[in-house]
Amino acid sequence: MKRLILVATVAATALATAHARAEDIVIGAIYPLTGNAAQVGLDAKAAYEVEADIINTTHAAIPMVMGKGGGLDKLGGAKIKLIFADSQNDPQKARAEAERLITQEHAIAIIGSYTSATAATISQVTERYEVPYMSADNSSPSLNQRGLKWFFRTSPHDEMFSAAMFNFFTEIGQKTGHKVKSVALFYEDSIFGSDSSNVQRKLAADQKIDVAADVKYRANSPSLSAEAQKLKAANADVILPSSYTSDAILILKAMAEIGYKPKAIMAQAAGFQEQAFLTGAGDLAEGAMSRSSFALDATKSRPAIAPVNALYKAKNNKDLNDNTSRDVTALAVLADAINRAGSAKPEDIRKALTETNIKGSDTIMPWAGVKFDETGQNTLGTPVIQQVKGGVYHTIWPFDVAVMDPVWNVGQ
Amino acid sequence: MNAITQRRRREAITAALLLAFLIALPLPIHDVYTRNLFIITLLFAGLAQSWNILGGLCGQISLGHSLYFGIGAYVSTLLFVGPHISPWLGMCAAFGTAGLLALLVGWPCFRLSGHYYAIATVVVQEIGYLLFLNWDWVGAASGVYIPFRGESWLGLQFRTAKLPYFYLTLAFATLTWLIAWWIEGSRLGYTFRAVKDDAIAARSLGVRIFPSKMAAAFISGGLTGMGGAIFAQYVGYIDPDSILSGPLSILIALPAVLGGVGTLWGPLLGAAVLIPLRELSSTFLGGSGSGVDLMLYGALIMVVALLRPQGLVSLFPRAKTEAAR
Amino acid sequence: MSLDAMLQVAASGLLMGLIYALVAAGLSLIFGLMDVVNFAHGELMMIAMYAVFSLWQASGLDPFILLPLVAALLFGLGMAIYRLLIARALAVRFNKGMVQIFATFGLAIFIRGLAQMIFGGEFRSITGTWLGGRTWNLAGIYLPLPQLAASLVCLLAFAGLLLIGRTEFGRALEATREDREAVALIGIDRDRIFALGWGLGAATVGVAGVMLAGFYYVSPNVGANFALIAYVTVALGGFGSLLGALGAGLLIGEVEAITAQLLEPSLKQVGMFAIYLAVLMFRPRGLFGKI
Repeated sequence: MKRLILVATVAATALATAHARAEDIVIGAIYPLTGNAAQVGLDAKAAYEVEADIINTTHAAIPMVMGKGGGLDKLGGAKIKLIFADSQNDPQKARAEAERLITQEHAIAIIGSYTSATAATISQVTERYEVPYMSADNSSPSLNQRGLKWFFRTSPHDEMFSAAMFNFFTEIGQKTGHKVKSVALFYEDSIFGSDSSNVQRKLAADQKIDVAADVKYRANSPSLSAEAQKLKAANADVILPSSYTSDAILILKAMAEIGYKPKAIMAQAAGFQEQAFLTGAGDLAEGAMSRSSFALDATKSRPAIAPVNALYKAKNNKDLNDNTSRDVTALAVLADAINRAGSAKPEDIRKALTETNIKGSDTIMPWAGVKFDETGQNTLGTPVIQQVKGGVYHTIWPFDVAVMDPVWNVGQ
Repeated sequence: MNAITQRRRREAITAALLLAFLIALPLPIHDVYTRNLFIITLLFAGLAQSWNILGGLCGQISLGHSLYFGIGAYVSTLLFVGPHISPWLGMCAAFGTAGLLALLVGWPCFRLSGHYYAIATVVVQEIGYLLFLNWDWVGAASGVYIPFRGESWLGLQFRTAKLPYFYLTLAFATLTWLIAWWIEGSRLGYTFRAVKDDAIAARSLGVRIFPSKMAAAFISGGLTGMGGAIFAQYVGYIDPDSILSGPLSILIALPAVLGGVGTLWGPLLGAAVLIPLRELSSTFLGGSGSGVDLMLYGALIMVVALLRPQGLVSLFPRAKTEAAR
Repeated sequence: MSLDAMLQVAASGLLMGLIYALVAAGLSLIFGLMDVVNFAHGELMMIAMYAVFSLWQASGLDPFILLPLVAALLFGLGMAIYRLLIARALAVRFNKGMVQIFATFGLAIFIRGLAQMIFGGEFRSITGTWLGGRTWNLAGIYLPLPQLAASLVCLLAFAGLLLIGRTEFGRALEATREDREAVALIGIDRDRIFALGWGLGAATVGVAGVMLAGFYYVSPNVGANFALIAYVTVALGGFGSLLGALGAGLLIGEVEAITAQLLEPSLKQVGMFAIYLAVLMFRPRGLFGKI
């Protein structure tokens, strides 16, 4: 039996590697492709494939980093080859897949991974094997604070995101005269939920905003009516949810069911930025606000958005969102570093990554740019605030890039 | 009596030969993925054997064993991260804590029978999971990182080497097998069988049922906790979702059930088939996100359960007579 | 806490409790008949939810109109599962209990993979139904209509199942349950009765799935959110006791609602699990189980 398994393993590995040409630059991508978070992983896969095509194929130049196509010019036109692995959202599995991608598939960098628990183990593996880990969409602040040498994150993390929310509260308070006096925290019992709420609790204390309710809930509960009642009883100026899609739909319904219409909702993206949420919650989502690292409507200042989004939509039949835009950007930044390094050696790529300095206008993101600090965190990833109107998110803050005036019901 | 002694000697010799083969097995294989596959397979062979002591030999179907696994992992990890206590001692602490917890759970639950007992074990595990998920002192949902303190056998940490973990999990699987083998031939095994086959008849024969169940629970839970400690040190990160969850409980029991419940070789055989199949199908089919890997895994469980109700060991005629005994 | 708020908690717990009972009814029925715990119960519910979602998407008809169709569909599916899987599992001579558990568990995983293959992982919701989003304000106590409808359907379903128990078929069911061997002598086809029982159990969970789809999202893993609670409900009520399942559902719904208020909401399921353990200490076969 053991021998049979061995033969199967060897055969399968041989099959997987057979068609990788020698000059290909292999990048491993680890995402949950089955289980509860599968859809996010599948969308990320589509986004990476679109970006890899943009880098590899010959086409009219797209005004963004690595947008001119034709492969990596400093590596003789080498192509980026992506190999996807399913983490099943299991840290052990993610770790094993990272090892496989590095040792078997000869991936020279790993990109991933949506959930924080899997990023925790993947980044340990990349540290030990000394290859870069590009964190595209993990938002837990603790990840880059462990002294890792090979960890890089283009995306802002939850501290930066939450700081943006509270800055928005201050500015809109000054603008309209209706300040935020109280907030209600509503967050799931995961790393994402607890990290997000910890930052928000601290920021609220700093700005002397009262935390009227602190509701931690069980993810994927059959019902959120008790939670909705707590939020109703607190009746805070703004509700700050940190939830994935399923619970985002459920809590809006649960609040409506007990006749509660919150004055304002300011979400930590995640589920609130998914199309399934906007469809599922329907009218209830109107007026909801969410932070976002992406602004689909910023087409004027970011001319690359339109062509990239068109390609993505043709492939996956939906618009780019908060997650998939970050995935596109992370791969572009990584490919740019590999190209500048002019080498497929991880040490050279790491050095090139630390020297990254990309202007925001050369990406599809509304950020100031991409530049990593000594912990590997991009310090120029400045988020935006968006609001739902007519079933679509519109950017409302920072006011200079806003496409719509905010609907602000606090204090009225 | 003589036949039994002869059979037991044969089993021990087979085990020794298998062990020799397994010791040599990873030497010519250098790729990390396959070695990782061996490690996980051996770990689950040991875990399934631990489960088998309570679920198979003693007939108490527990569907909540991830509780003991998780407790063991937490105990040894917290000892290592906090006061720098070696995982070797951590494993012993894990055995003790998980074993005592199994006694604590067994105390009320063993008066329940059949499905009531099975669901009670799920419920207790689920309570444990929810408490750890909300307990800030043990990291709550964020889990616990195990910092890398340099290559060492004392700390059981190795930068990229897999062989040490291979031999560690092999030792664990061997230990569980030896304990199961010893129990089978001892007075304890006799009482376990009596409890399993017919509790009422057992009582009339003077077998004290409750203490027998408790003994099985202590050994089974303790060994499972030890496995949890090894797993934590191997993976380097633990959180409630990955070490204290319902699906993990099933995965601990499944190799024993598919291989042959209540047999010595079943858990080993079940793990050798199930774990590689699960890992390989998710690695080579899961990347598409199509769900084919789950369908394959589910179908395999159904087919084996129906076609080989005594487990895969019944494919080997000699083992079959022993399983039916 | 004000009186209004307390009544609201009680009302929400009541509605949720009846919904739990409805989800558990089919499980209880099948167990009572043939001593089999169906570990694919949540997945059958998921199939019903996808069925009603697909039919709604294709036809635009309200889930209420589609209810009989989905129930019939699940009835057929239940019979098929019995014939193909369960009948074989019952025929096994060794490790019967374990074979049943793991055969249905394998089925559950298989169905999840199948759903992922056909529908992908996206969360889907049925919108714009007759009752969707409506809520009834009863002197400050809010009763959402989709949940209220599900609760009423739950009571109807239990009444229906109890009535079936009084028909000739019901007596055949009862006889089969009491003595599987003897019924063959009086000309009852045990296999046929079991298959019909499975059909009926699946149809009941089909009804639950349709009602749930009126206010809950659908995804390949949705069954797991309800399945454990359904097992606890059935065991707490006493395996095989329909009335027990109803009572246990209500108890669990209320305990959950109260725990969420007293402790943190993230611990609300601890309350219902603790009640299960506490009750079983005194009644090892559940509230209404035969001692």
